[in-house]
Amino acid sequence: MTSHVGMMALFAFFVSVVFAVLMHDDPGLQVRAAARMCAGFVVAGLALGWVLLLFPI
Amino acid sequence: MLATAARSSQSHNPWVVCAVAWIVPGGGHLLLGRVGKGVVFLVTLVAMFTTGLLLKGRIFPFELSDPLVPLAAIANMGIGAPYFVARGLGIGVGDVLAVTFEYGNSFAIVAGLLNMLVVLDAYDMARGLK
Repeated sequence: MTSHVGMMALFAFFVSVVFAVLMHDDPGLQVRAAARMCAGFVVAGLALGWVLLLFPI
Repeated sequence: MLATAARSSQSHNPWVVCAVAWIVPGGGHLLLGRVGKGVVFLVTLVAMFTTGLLLKGRIFPFELSDPLVPLAAIANMGIGAPYFVARGLGIGVGDVLAVTFEYGNSFAIVAGLLNMLVVLDAYDMARGLK
């Protein structure tokens, strides 16, 4: 896989799962927290990517 | 269930739990009877580290030639046994020309850093703080 967005999403998934399981003991809360965090990471990554277009190297 | 976990945590030396948690990702939680958490950590962290290697990332050696290399090596070592297994098998030499090289490094490094957090969580549980 060489898709930048795909790798970002995979990275966000792994990190979200670990953080969610560290934060909560209840499986339902863990799933909800992981989903929220993963979505937040991906949306923030995409938003930052668009913002960086304003600052070309 | 919490009472069982608390009893289980009181019977283990926190430093032994830390050592087990470092060597086997999630092993500390498994030792303390938190099987669900332990299995999730084991699967997720090993998968993340393996993904880093599959993306042609490098497992950094402990060299002082470059100030950032030993830091990356320490982060890599955080994953425990998989680091030493990969180095023993000669995996993780990295392909700097691969488009996924930096991604692979990030996955492998962050897997080690996350396992350090998991070790601290296991330590807190072993001391009865969580």
